[in-house]
Amino acid sequence: MSIRSPFILRRIITISLLLLFVLIVVMLAGVSMGSTKIGLKMLLQSLLGEKMADTMLDTIVWQIRFPRVLLAGLVGATLSLGGLVFQAILRNPLAEPYILGISGGSAIGAIIGILSGLSRFPGVSLTAFAGSLATLFLLLIMSSGKSLLKKNTLLLSGVMVNAFCSAIIMFLVSMTYDARLHNIIFWLMGDLSMCDINQVGILALMLLPCFIILFCYSHSMNIILMGNEMAQTMGINIRRVTAVLLIVTSFMVSATVCYCGLLGFVGLVIPHLLRLVFGSDHRILVPASILGGGSYMIICDLLARVLPQQGEVPVGVVTAMVGAPLFIYLLKRSKQ
Amino acid sequence: MKKRCLILVVPVLICFFITQAQSNERCVTDQAGRIVSLPDKPERIVSLAPNITEIIFALARGHLLKGVTTFSDFPVEAKKIYKVGSYVKLDLERIVSLNPDLCIAVKDGNPKDVVDRLESLGIPVYAVDPKSLDGLMQTIFEVGELLNAGDRAETLIHNMRLRIQRIKFLVAKAESTPRVFWQIGISPIISAGSNTFINELITLAGGKNIACGTSRYPRFSREQVLSLAPDVFIITSMEKGVVFDELKADWGLWPEMPAVRNNRIFLVDSNLFDRPSPRILDGLELLVELIHPELFKEKH
Repeated sequence: MSIRSPFILRRIITISLLLLFVLIVVMLAGVSMGSTKIGLKMLLQSLLGEKMADTMLDTIVWQIRFPRVLLAGLVGATLSLGGLVFQAILRNPLAEPYILGISGGSAIGAIIGILSGLSRFPGVSLTAFAGSLATLFLLLIMSSGKSLLKKNTLLLSGVMVNAFCSAIIMFLVSMTYDARLHNIIFWLMGDLSMCDINQVGILALMLLPCFIILFCYSHSMNIILMGNEMAQTMGINIRRVTAVLLIVTSFMVSATVCYCGLLGFVGLVIPHLLRLVFGSDHRILVPASILGGGSYMIICDLLARVLPQQGEVPVGVVTAMVGAPLFIYLLKRSKQ
Repeated sequence: MKKRCLILVVPVLICFFITQAQSNERCVTDQAGRIVSLPDKPERIVSLAPNITEIIFALARGHLLKGVTTFSDFPVEAKKIYKVGSYVKLDLERIVSLNPDLCIAVKDGNPKDVVDRLESLGIPVYAVDPKSLDGLMQTIFEVGELLNAGDRAETLIHNMRLRIQRIKFLVAKAESTPRVFWQIGISPIISAGSNTFINELITLAGGKNIACGTSRYPRFSREQVLSLAPDVFIITSMEKGVVFDELKADWGLWPEMPAVRNNRIFLVDSNLFDRPSPRILDGLELLVELIHPELFKEKH
């Protein structure tokens, strides 16, 4: 990455700080609301780390809600960053890990892992990653050689791979009879509820290096967007950059898929929204996607927890229900 | 000399601490083979499945229940207790907010993740796994022990044994073994095969479960059901009324099936059969009436 002008640096910092503030506000909201009512005073006491007479509240805030909010933030950041990267490499506004079948591939891997009774980490994580790599290779082989860079071939192959993956997922689900069926179905709809702080820590350790790598490549993404010839004259090895970006993104996405299932639409809505607001410089968009995507997912998860009277709706349902209309509205407005 | 003293003193001390610890805590092994340490007298219990709620009420320990699952609707008192989500989608936060000193879970129904997380938050979870009538009685016995209702549990089990004996005695008089097809839910057609509660109930009630095979919950096509030619057709469903009438009319299109010809398609309340609780014997008695109505006619 090259940050030559101080102007860009200042813009990155301003926008990041702004979004970081939003993220912190949203995280506070996420920790303070839930299915049990906790008074504001008690909550503040707990958040400020004062010893409380009632340890139960502490447990709820710190061991149930806090990991969940962190997880939602990480997952939202990953998925929206994944969408941003795919849209840049393929130069196609519709590209997203979910649409290209990368999520589907890791879901197949994860379901096979769940069905063979592996533990979530490292067992299911590994099968999920294997699944996503397999779909990625399938994609690359299908659109091998020069056509890798032709956006339509790759996108079209992706759509087909995704259709194939959904069929296999449905097949696996229909062959399952016992109690694991419930697990798989809830997990497929996107579920953030079952992670403790250690698992979130492991996930963060896997994801943070990926974020940094992608930020380092953000200037290359800008140049790739200008076209192949332009990129070559600027001295960018398109094949290598594309391969690195695809593999890193698939790794991130499969890590989140194995923890939280399939969450569509985040990778489409957030990058587009940010691009409409902040322009199309990826040096700004990468950190903005991480912070904005995280905030969006935390809000969706909060809605999923608070809205229903009994129980909760799967967060994947909320991301799509909020995301799709928002996306259409923005599209209409930007056209005008 | 000093060493010898130490050898004597240390075990005594250990024993002392163990007994101290045991005076308000005890370690037990649950039906999933996990070692659970729980209070001697649990007072804040959360039941993680409707059948467990029923068992606890049958043991007259309903007042200890602080939380139950959404579909815990029997007995009526259970409806008023705080709900902690359905048994496949438990709300961890609600469970923790009740500050329970014991949760009772079902091994194959509650998601293992939730159980693990409850344990990691320091809430003891005792898992039960009733797979047969004997298993159910064992479960009632164990839950009775946990809740200091051992006597009550023994009476309950004794009564259950008596009722089963009575049914066996009655069924022994039957001259035929009707072929029974048991449909769970409406679409797709799923039945209960070998090693299931329902298979055991059908056999006890003097029927032959024609879905017995390799799979526990086999799936059938309409064609396969027709070719099996069941004499008695039983549908369990949570939906009642119109849906059942439609379903019955659907099957009614095939009068070749003995069950249709003799008008022996029945809808039964799934709660009586899907929940391994003392109420399952009501289900069993109902089943005998459906499979062998002639035994009851002779009586009257």
